[in-house]
Amino acid sequence: MRLEVKDIRKSFGEKEVLHGISFQVESGRALGLLGRNGAGKTTTIRILMDVFHANSGEIFFDGEKFIPSKHGIGYLPEERGLYPKRTVIDQMIYLARLRGVHPSDAKANARKWLERLEVAEYEKRKLETLSKGNQQKVQLASTLVHNPEIVILDEPFSGLDPVNSQILKDVVNELIADNRLVIFSSHQMSYVEEFCDNIAIIDQGEVVLEGELREIKKEHGHNRLMLAAENLDGGQLEEKLAGEFADLLRVCGRKKEFLILELTGKAGRKQVMERLASSDIEVERFGSYAPSLNDIFVAKVGEES
Amino acid sequence: MKKFGIVLRYELSEYFNSKGFVIFTLLLALGGAVLLFLPRFIDLSGFTGVQTVGGAGTNSEADASGDETEKTAYLYLDTAGVVRAEVLQQMFPMGDWQPAQSEEALIAAVKAQEAEAGFVVLGPDEYRYYVFNKAMTDSNAAIFSQAMKQFYRMDYCETRGLDLNEIMTVADVPITVEEQVLNKDSGSNYWYCYFLVIVVFMLIVLYGQMIAVAVTNEKSNRAIEVLVTSTTPNSLLFGKVIAGAIGGLLQTGIIMGAVLVSYEVNRQQWGGMLDMFLHIPLDVIISFAAFGLGGYLFYAFLYGAMGALVSKTEDVSKSSGGLQVVIMVVYFFSLVQLMDIDGPITRVLSFLPISSYSTMFARIAMGTVAPWEIVVSFLILVVSILGAGVLGAKLYRMGTLRYGNPLKLSTALKSLRRSE
Repeated sequence: MRLEVKDIRKSFGEKEVLHGISFQVESGRALGLLGRNGAGKTTTIRILMDVFHANSGEIFFDGEKFIPSKHGIGYLPEERGLYPKRTVIDQMIYLARLRGVHPSDAKANARKWLERLEVAEYEKRKLETLSKGNQQKVQLASTLVHNPEIVILDEPFSGLDPVNSQILKDVVNELIADNRLVIFSSHQMSYVEEFCDNIAIIDQGEVVLEGELREIKKEHGHNRLMLAAENLDGGQLEEKLAGEFADLLRVCGRKKEFLILELTGKAGRKQVMERLASSDIEVERFGSYAPSLNDIFVAKVGEES
Repeated sequence: MKKFGIVLRYELSEYFNSKGFVIFTLLLALGGAVLLFLPRFIDLSGFTGVQTVGGAGTNSEADASGDETEKTAYLYLDTAGVVRAEVLQQMFPMGDWQPAQSEEALIAAVKAQEAEAGFVVLGPDEYRYYVFNKAMTDSNAAIFSQAMKQFYRMDYCETRGLDLNEIMTVADVPITVEEQVLNKDSGSNYWYCYFLVIVVFMLIVLYGQMIAVAVTNEKSNRAIEVLVTSTTPNSLLFGKVIAGAIGGLLQTGIIMGAVLVSYEVNRQQWGGMLDMFLHIPLDVIISFAAFGLGGYLFYAFLYGAMGALVSKTEDVSKSSGGLQVVIMVVYFFSLVQLMDIDGPITRVLSFLPISSYSTMFARIAMGTVAPWEIVVSFLILVVSILGAGVLGAKLYRMGTLRYGNPLKLSTALKSLRRSE
């Protein structure tokens, strides 16, 4: 299965909020949809879900026009909520039925997912009587109750403790392994790195970076080095490099333990090593730098998420 | 349509699984029925005028004179020498009349509530009336004034040698009337119309508010995020409104059914004294059900839309305030215009969808209304319900995913026009 979003534009009144969003995702591979608050992720997701209509652009599923109602879509919204006064099983059956599950299967499906997420014992309890973590798990169970082929998870880990996070991670991995098409929206880059093969970064209604995460990392790590000195702190080292190494490199970032350097001109890693050896810098740490997704995100979007 | 059915069933279960709803309905229905069956088991002849316990519906008025009922004490001070105690006793059959020693003694007795009231007669056509707490229904002074007139007439005839009985016979000839109401008797239909207008008004406000709160609740607890991605806003709004209609209709039907049937069964035992409220002709009940349900649906859709314009339940009253004002104004006019049921205002109101739910059935019950008027009014109501449903669903769709400050209706309508 392959979902392709092509040049989606959306305006609210006079204001255009999506300026031609495009990305694609395949089954068995999760897509990380990233962006700052208000970047346009939720609007994009709502267009995918047919809650909003795009002003222009197209969405294809396996090359055919995508009609959301024809496909099972499981959506876990960032803004969680079900019926607090109703029992867990009642509302799960209700949601399963609304998504087209036959009455005889709805209960069995609900129980299956409640068991998988280790909250089966609460099925007859009112939702409001459960802890926040368990309510989150019930919400995820209700997202999956109709066994959707497309799963959209918006900040699925927020509010979960480490134990529940692990259960959720296992479930997400199972969904990916089960060849579902998973779209994963989160600010927690570590989770995106863990699950997603592809990413699309949206900034101010535009996709500013899209592709395979491994390739993106490789590309962003090209010509990058990291350096830490025993005898100089970050500021002193940066000053020294700016004076004595300006023909070879520039400092393009600073971490707590080291500086991130970018090679300029034709100089390579070897020349830098030689220059360092002849300088009075006592090298503590030196090597190639592979940027994290967070670094890439910050570089692209311009601010810590 | 299938999803509408699923939403409808779920929303209905919200009502039927609610212990409060079930208990309240049964309690009111049972309470009403028990009250209306009371004359079969308890002697209420003092109230109903019909002896039922131990005998089948015999009128007990004839025996009333022999009753040893406690009498009411009255005092009088006759400074003009005109009072005739036998006349007072005749006009106040339950009164125990005693002369007072002085005006002060009379006032003290009334203040101490040893006497119900006191009268100081100052002249043949003048008296003072003393009462401790004057009830709204106090008629003592009016009756005493009649007694004073009688003293005056008797005194006048006696001094001139005239026969008072002869004069009274001429002055007050008894006229026999045989009344034949050929169409509607507004006098006897007025009170049940009044009662039904109140019932339908309460239904609309109570259930309308419940629908608005339910819609806002889904927004405030964010359930709407999942719901709008699972079904259409139309199914959600229509399911909620129709479920509310069924819930309200069932609740009112059970309560009113229990009360009306119980009264019909025990009507003889009540001596027909509650006919003005509870002996409602079938055509009025049918028109009440049709127009009442129509009016309810019309407002319920609008209430649903109003609920979608706010994100917090405490803001619901803000968004539905305008609608409440319209309903209150219609309610006020409907009740006031019952007095002038065939007047131009009622005629106009009976065709407007905002008011036909109460005025048209009142016209059917009390006034002159042509069949075409009923049909046209009902058609206007049906078209308006559909319009309200479509507008409500559009506002609902637009408002459901907008959080934050309450959305003004005018802003929402402008936004709708722009998007179209």
